Amino acid sequence: MKKIIEKLEKNQYYLAVFKNPFTYITGAVLLSILQIALLASAGNPWGVSGTFTNWAAWIYEALGGSVDKWFYFSSLGAQNTLNAGFLNDPGSIQNVGIIVGALLATLLASQFKFKKIKSFRQVIAAALGGTLMGYGARLAFGCNIGALFSGISSLSFSGWVFGLFLLIGAFIGSKLLARFFM
Amino acid sequence: MKEYTLDCLGEACPVPLMKTEKKINSMEVGDVLVVQIDHSCAMKNVPEWARTQGYNVEIEEVEDGEWEVVIEKTK
Repeated sequence: MKKIIEKLEKNQYYLAVFKNPFTYITGAVLLSILQIALLASAGNPWGVSGTFTNWAAWIYEALGGSVDKWFYFSSLGAQNTLNAGFLNDPGSIQNVGIIVGALLATLLASQFKFKKIKSFRQVIAAALGGTLMGYGARLAFGCNIGALFSGISSLSFSGWVFGLFLLIGAFIGSKLLARFFM
Repeated sequence: MKEYTLDCLGEACPVPLMKTEKKINSMEVGDVLVVQIDHSCAMKNVPEWARTQGYNVEIEEVEDGEWEVVIEKTK
């Protein structure tokens, strides 16, 4: 068994597919083909962050809360998704796929590692960054996947507008990061 | 010629790259910087940045999911 693994670690196809990072071009081509396949099979463009809002609503409802009166969930579509449940929501299955797929990829590359938390400051930065990104994505009705990637690939002008402000936000964000968290 | 170590373990992008740029700029020509990282995207963007600066770069996988990027400030 040990011999097989040692041999595998030097195999050029294993290295190219699982171990070494793809080039940006390879990644872009794969993403484009797969998002077309996803749009064709699921009927909706690829999105990520909107689904997490539904997960939060399900958790809130499981704890005894109700989001029926919330404006965000007031549309018929949103109500139908919430009522149909986790297993009938394509977006939820896709997000589980991302998480399981990322775990699988890091295991196959033999790069899995529990990372230590360096400082309390890092915890604050991560929580603050996550909150701002999630809140911003809901205000914009999409994140860099739903609004930018799927927007532009659907030939929608809104994707380019989102991209412009994403760049401005990333510039300001990196300045803040350097100023307060480094 | 001095050798410096930069501990970026547990740091996510873009922090390792930003720290590397800052550290390299404070070093003398001929000095070597060893950047310790455990974030796979930093394993791509840190060496890429260093190569565009014209520095010598070597990547070593020291453990599962842990790398040392060795950068020689050649100019």
